[in-house]
Amino acid sequence: MRYRRRGLDITSHTLLILCVIVFFLPVWMAIVAATHTQSSLYTGVAPFWFGSEGFGNFLAVLSDPVGRLGTDATRLLVNSTIMALGIAVGKITIAILAAYAIVFFRFPFRMLCFWAIFITLMLPVEVRIMPTYKVVAGLGMLNSYTGLILPLIASATATFLFRQFYLTVPPELLEAARVDGAGPWRFLRDILLPLSKTNIAALFVIMFLYGWNQYLWPLLITTESDYMTVVISLKRMLTSADNLVPWHTVTATALLAMLPPVIVIVLMQRYFVKGLVDTEK
Amino acid sequence: MATLRLDGLKKTYPNGFVALHGLDLEIADGELLVVVGPSGCGKSTLLRMLAGLEDITAGDLYIGEARVNPLEPADRDIAMVFQNYALYPHMSVAGNMEYALKNRGVPKEARRRKVEETASLIGLQDLLDRRPRQLSGGQRQRVAMGRAIVREPQVFLFDEPLSNLDAKLRVQMRLEIRRLQKRLGVTSVYVTHDQVEAMTLADRLIVMNEGRIEQLGSPMTLYDQPASTFVAGFIGSPAMNFLSAEASGRTLSLPCGNQLHAPVDAHGHVTLGIRPEHLVPVEESDDALAVQVELVEPLGADTLAYVQLDGQAEPLVVRFDGARRLEEGDRLWLAPDLERLHLFDPEQGQRLTTTEAITTP
Repeated sequence: MRYRRRGLDITSHTLLILCVIVFFLPVWMAIVAATHTQSSLYTGVAPFWFGSEGFGNFLAVLSDPVGRLGTDATRLLVNSTIMALGIAVGKITIAILAAYAIVFFRFPFRMLCFWAIFITLMLPVEVRIMPTYKVVAGLGMLNSYTGLILPLIASATATFLFRQFYLTVPPELLEAARVDGAGPWRFLRDILLPLSKTNIAALFVIMFLYGWNQYLWPLLITTESDYMTVVISLKRMLTSADNLVPWHTVTATALLAMLPPVIVIVLMQRYFVKGLVDTEK
Repeated sequence: MATLRLDGLKKTYPNGFVALHGLDLEIADGELLVVVGPSGCGKSTLLRMLAGLEDITAGDLYIGEARVNPLEPADRDIAMVFQNYALYPHMSVAGNMEYALKNRGVPKEARRRKVEETASLIGLQDLLDRRPRQLSGGQRQRVAMGRAIVREPQVFLFDEPLSNLDAKLRVQMRLEIRRLQKRLGVTSVYVTHDQVEAMTLADRLIVMNEGRIEQLGSPMTLYDQPASTFVAGFIGSPAMNFLSAEASGRTLSLPCGNQLHAPVDAHGHVTLGIRPEHLVPVEESDDALAVQVELVEPLGADTLAYVQLDGQAEPLVVRFDGARRLEEGDRLWLAPDLERLHLFDPEQGQRLTTTEAITTP
């Protein structure tokens, strides 16, 4: 039941508007700061309105090496995108195949496999970071995209999500497909994948953000600036030991770093909500 | 088109449960065989074995001349209509229908022609672009049929295809299935638990019970000469009335004191079966069965009455003409149609025929 009362309407709207202001203020400050010169940011009062630079700072960080990082923001964004996409696509691919095997095939130790995958939920990168580093280093994958992506690619959460979805697919659908002459691959491609479209979209959003926000792992295995991700670069920029923090470039880079996740969410949000709420059946 | 031959077909599940106890059966080319039975009698297992969705534990299955035991469902040249239709939800009607052809590598143009041809045969031509979600139950059922027909299989398998439809649509689709099957002349096996569907559709009918064929024959044979109390109770609606009686030669003594002339020789305890439609109301007399009406169910054309007979725990069901007005508590006299009494062995349930005499004292 929904309440419709005037007082309640006004209160809730006021509350919502306040929350929006609270959440949006830092972003606004960043946008404003990114349009100022460094000197105008160090006048003592944080500015609340745009400065003289316009898009100049953005163009500068995209084309010229930022601070002492030795690389420009374009490179950083490309690196982050490759890692986030690699992780998202990889996780989804592996999870789909694993869940497919667990749900639709009868093989010995099927449940054992499922639980083995499931308990990896208790082993995120942070827990297994030393051995993982050793393995990746041993394989010579330090400072490479493979090294960035591969150790993060297995996902119990995604496997579990797909498993739960596959369990709701009526078994007759598989039987009908078998009678219609579809083998396992065809069934996966023609029936299951189109049906899990919304799930895939939802997972893609979550996993892209997960990949994009990775900090510890890239920090550990990338030493060359060619493989540095944008999230790490932000932290680096803030620790310029003796210099003033170049807030105008930091905010410009931070805003640029926010863009791809925002774009992904805006583009996929329709599917995202659908995927979490219901399935196309 | 093909015959279907089952040679000692047996199914044992890994947990040791025997679903089918070695079935021998031959289904003629173009015949529509209906398999009917209560749930858990093995009828669906049988159908799924024919389709290749369940492994065959023992015995051989032939479609035409070929032994198909090791073949995948797709290679058996069969088509199956599922109870819940199992349409692919993300494909259009046309997509659903052509999927099998696509997997066989039929070229696009030929596929389209075949789908359109089939669609017009079953009245789907205007719905080809719709998704299953946008269709009514009856239309989905049609699509499921179309998907089976479009492949021109050797054998149709129907797994309770009408049980998800409402009563009116069910009658309509029943007729349609019958007409299509006759027209296409495809050998068909039809599984149902609905005895009306079974009676109306079947060329021949199998009643199954606990993984065995209880009786095989034309619908009217099963109605007129049920081989056991199980078949007698299953075929015909409302079900046959069973009374216990004492037989001595051709004379049957009922617990209520009446005596009837038996159709066969028997001695000792017997089960007497009388169908509701074979109890006729008569004038009061000593020979007639005196009963009291307990409950009346007017159906329009007929009126069913549940009546109490002395010495009988369960009330008997009697079918009266719909014009007859009955009240609860009425006293009536009924005479059974002596030509159509059925006698069964009270323990095994088998039908007692003239040649057999019962030995129990």
